[in-house]
Amino acid sequence: MMLELLVGVCLLGAFVTFALPEEYAPEAALGISLVPLAVSLYMYAVFDGVGNALLGGDPAFETQYAWLTLGRYDVTWHMGLDGISMPLVVLATLLTTLAILASWTPIDERQSQFYGLMLFMEASLVGVFGALDFLIWFVFWEAVLVPMYFLIGVWGGARRKYAAIKFFVYTNIASIVMFIGFFGLVFGLGDSIASLDLPAVAQALRAGELGGLGLLSASQVATLAFVAMFLGFAVKVPVVPFHTWLPDAHVEAPTPASVMLAGVLLKMGTYALLRYNFTMLPGIAQSFAVPIALLGVISIVYGALLALAQSDLKRIVAYSSVSSMGYVMLGLVAYTMYGTGGATFQMVAHGLISGLLFACVGVVYNTTHTRMVGDMSGLADRMPVTVGAFVAGGFAYMGLPLMAGFAGEFFVFVGTFGADFAGAPVFTSVGMFGIVIVAGYLLWSMQATLFGPFESATDYEVSPAAVHDVVPLLVLVVFIIALGTFPYDLAFDAILEATRHRARPVRVRQHRPRVEQQSRPRGHRLRRLAGGDGRVGRVPRLWRR
Amino acid sequence: MYTVATGHAYQSTLYTWVGGEAVPYELTFGILLDQLSTLMLVIVSLISFLVHVFSLGYMNDEDEGGLARYYAELGLFSASMLGFVFADNLLMAFMFFELVGLCSYLLIGFWFREAGPPSAAKKAFLVTRFGDYFFLIGVVAVFATFGTAAFGGPGVEESFPHLAELALDGEASVNTFGFAPSTWFTIVGLLVLGGVMGKSAQFPFHTWLPDAMEGPTPVSALIHAATMVAAGVYLVARMYGFYALSPTALGVIAFVGGFTALFAATMGVVKREIKQVLAYSTISQYGYIMLALGGGGYVAGVFHLTTHAVFKALLFLGAGSVIIAMHHNENMWDMGGLKDEMPVTYYAFLSGSLALAGIVPFSGFWSKDEVLFETLIHGLGDSPLLLGAYAMGLLAVFFTGFYTFRMVLLTFHGEPRSDTARDPHGVRWNVKVPLVVLGTLAAVVGVINLTPVHTLVPAVPEFLHDWLFHGPEGLNGEHYEELLHDFAGYTKGYPLGETLTMLASAAVSLGLALAGAGLAVALYRGPEPVEHTDKLGALKTVLFNNYYQDEFQVWLAEGLTARVAGAADTVDVSGIDGVVNFVSSLSLFTGDRLRRVQTGIVSNYAALLTLGLTILLVAFGVMQGWFL
Repeated sequence: MMLELLVGVCLLGAFVTFALPEEYAPEAALGISLVPLAVSLYMYAVFDGVGNALLGGDPAFETQYAWLTLGRYDVTWHMGLDGISMPLVVLATLLTTLAILASWTPIDERQSQFYGLMLFMEASLVGVFGALDFLIWFVFWEAVLVPMYFLIGVWGGARRKYAAIKFFVYTNIASIVMFIGFFGLVFGLGDSIASLDLPAVAQALRAGELGGLGLLSASQVATLAFVAMFLGFAVKVPVVPFHTWLPDAHVEAPTPASVMLAGVLLKMGTYALLRYNFTMLPGIAQSFAVPIALLGVISIVYGALLALAQSDLKRIVAYSSVSSMGYVMLGLVAYTMYGTGGATFQMVAHGLISGLLFACVGVVYNTTHTRMVGDMSGLADRMPVTVGAFVAGGFAYMGLPLMAGFAGEFFVFVGTFGADFAGAPVFTSVGMFGIVIVAGYLLWSMQATLFGPFESATDYEVSPAAVHDVVPLLVLVVFIIALGTFPYDLAFDAILEATRHRARPVRVRQHRPRVEQQSRPRGHRLRRLAGGDGRVGRVPRLWRR
Repeated sequence: MYTVATGHAYQSTLYTWVGGEAVPYELTFGILLDQLSTLMLVIVSLISFLVHVFSLGYMNDEDEGGLARYYAELGLFSASMLGFVFADNLLMAFMFFELVGLCSYLLIGFWFREAGPPSAAKKAFLVTRFGDYFFLIGVVAVFATFGTAAFGGPGVEESFPHLAELALDGEASVNTFGFAPSTWFTIVGLLVLGGVMGKSAQFPFHTWLPDAMEGPTPVSALIHAATMVAAGVYLVARMYGFYALSPTALGVIAFVGGFTALFAATMGVVKREIKQVLAYSTISQYGYIMLALGGGGYVAGVFHLTTHAVFKALLFLGAGSVIIAMHHNENMWDMGGLKDEMPVTYYAFLSGSLALAGIVPFSGFWSKDEVLFETLIHGLGDSPLLLGAYAMGLLAVFFTGFYTFRMVLLTFHGEPRSDTARDPHGVRWNVKVPLVVLGTLAAVVGVINLTPVHTLVPAVPEFLHDWLFHGPEGLNGEHYEELLHDFAGYTKGYPLGETLTMLASAAVSLGLALAGAGLAVALYRGPEPVEHTDKLGALKTVLFNNYYQDEFQVWLAEGLTARVAGAADTVDVSGIDGVVNFVSSLSLFTGDRLRRVQTGIVSNYAALLTLGLTILLVAFGVMQGWFL
């Protein structure tokens, strides 16, 4: 019930905040958002999920009730978290709290609605990562769009209408394409499934139950469904060439919305790709490995080049997200332990890092009222803490070791380089060139705006940012360094627990019995980390001394 | 240290970064203390300590702001370097290598309120990052090939140099991605070498280093003598067991080194600022170390790394002392006559200069001589190509002698050429003590490896040689010599017999050094020296502009990359997004016919969407017979 409680608190908080008078909304929203954050951190501490939720694993906080029946299909209220979704839920709650805090300065009208929408979005995001039934998942998936549409459309910049509609329509069309693709699979499975339960669908597909549909053979159905779902999710990620909604949305969105958009919403795309395309149809995914890897590499290099060409700080960070999500694609397609696990880790790492950079740009904008690189210089002189966080975020983005970004990228590289698909080392090496370009544009923009003699083209007083503005930045820096220094103990072991069943060679089409998944004793994470279950071998030796 | 001194070594895994039964190989942090790393630890700690002391005089006494930040970054710098030095595997080495890069970025850009330092810091990080790109591919490739990145040491069952050796002998099979093992190992070695060349400022990645002079001078001393730049060549020494397997990689190292030594020395000849001359001398000297390692002289390379650390730290700190005295004016043409005003600095600096120029019996002579000698004998053996690299290195000796004494004479001799030089600012103990310590060491540290004397009088020990030859299994000089012989085909050739060849080599390099120094003394002595290099005409312009290397790289960054990026942006906005907007306006146009639907209010769209979804569901439902 913990997971439902989490969603419920967010939802209830959203309604309460809607109803509150303007002046109490910011503090109330922050206070309310601390509850799901605390709950999710507690859940992570006691997390004991085993295996992959879709492949017969035993997810934590699982609930399953028969809900209603649609024709032949049962719809169940099925939620639960495994090692893939758990870190993402924590990411969502953490970033929501920080984004709410980061809204205190820039948001000064319709505050109760604004904060209410933020909490509503949090509820939907937790639902997306927690749902294990297609229909429930889809409802949450679509529900995320509504608050984001309004956040951009109401509190956005000059071209907010255009950006909001573009975001909404583009991603919605994608959703329909994906929806059709998934139902193609469902109908192709025919009588072998009785519900839209995702684990049931995934296991039926992997057991080879897919049949033909009309004139199409089973493999044609699988291929078409794969392509449809891939296109649908690729818009969300976004993968080049479906990325053009992203910079517009980011530039027009208020900063806290950008934090959420880059930090969590983009991960919905890669998360869904991992859950649907790569878990349910591994055979097709591997046969498409080369084109997908190519798209990933193009996203990396092309996205980075686009970032290089911009002079609006927000656009720079927005395009660099395109580039970073390319690494995730590359990791997913590798089908190795480090590849898949690294891709998931990179989702979390990139969520924190891009959230940090957007928040930094937001603080700079609140103070100087400009985001253009040429309009300011030498900010380090006036706002040292913000600039310190900016530099930390910049280096995290460049993949500095002992920060989260390096860990994610390195896992992806090391996982993809030795992968089975043709030309894997070449794709990896070319994709890695992204780390040079990212250093180029971030160092350039940091030098131009943060260092040198102080100047500002706008007439605003530039003074150190308020405490509530810099707290989110510093919290994120701490998380990024912690995750980069202790990646395995903090997240990667949980992720690997869920991805390793997927990363095995998948040519075996036998459905694996559930017992085999129990290779790891159950136990709370904290207890395991403290060595309390006697599994001394994997306790960090540094901590024992 | 004691363990190592008694001929043992120590290796221990400290922390498992990524482990567990799920991953094919673990990623760990560990320390490896063997003869090489302890030697380097001593060097780094010593230089770092002296730089900290010197900073008291250079930064504190000069009332610089941001001291807390300065010392924090300096400490992090030393810590990163130490972490790099005792890393027991390539991944950990890479990670601390990058942290060293970060610290140099922060310290070079220490005076961030000015325009120059942030730009230089950016350049340093970016150029080395370009090298590190190849290094990172190398690290990834090592993991993919061997499944481990351990350097070796006691208790390490599988290390990648050893596995590579076995694979070449056909006793182990590793994934070489369809290449022959020797080819693939050469490729991997060259990839890692990219990082080495970036950090050690080897051609063509040397351009960041002269700009890095924008940082505080003690930082320059630390960067050049013992940390960032040293990190590169140290890595080659660290994994020498891997490089020794590939004659091609060794050849590339030797040629890059020899060429860089000569190339940088020629640019040092015309510079006006004291730190610029030292910067080019650093590039050139690291070229020698590369030449030695590539030429099969493992001990010689490490020896030169040691002596260079001492005398280059000394020269930078000496230059720092001069700069304090000159009120932060670095132009040598404004100096002159400082000899009498600051004798401690002068004599210490002179000791360093004699070592740099390679004049007997100062430390630099012994190490540089050994570098050249080792390359020569291997070149005269079965690897004649090395002779080309040797020739470049030898020629550079002459230029080194020349620019070193040009610098000494312009700075300290003659008549003062400016008011500040007439009345220099005094320096305190915290500047003088490091100079005296290093000045003494620069004169005598050569005794740790008096190879020529040892050959003539066997009673004189070769400490360093013995030290490095008594390393742990697979990580000692003896093993490397076997590898060089068996795999790289390096043999020694002594056309005049061993002793005579050695003496001839020493005589030639000493003669050239003296000739260069003598020429400088002849041209720049006297109270009012004139700039003789002006006579070089167009050649001087080329040299002064560093062969237009910087322009070329700026063009690469701004002319080429920025233009490509701009083109990509155009494609993106008018091409890809154009299509998106066209589709949308097409549908808007269609929608125009259905005005009542197309209200432009999103709730209507949402309603439409829900409606569409319902219709779809119903359609599917009817098709599948849900409602029957």
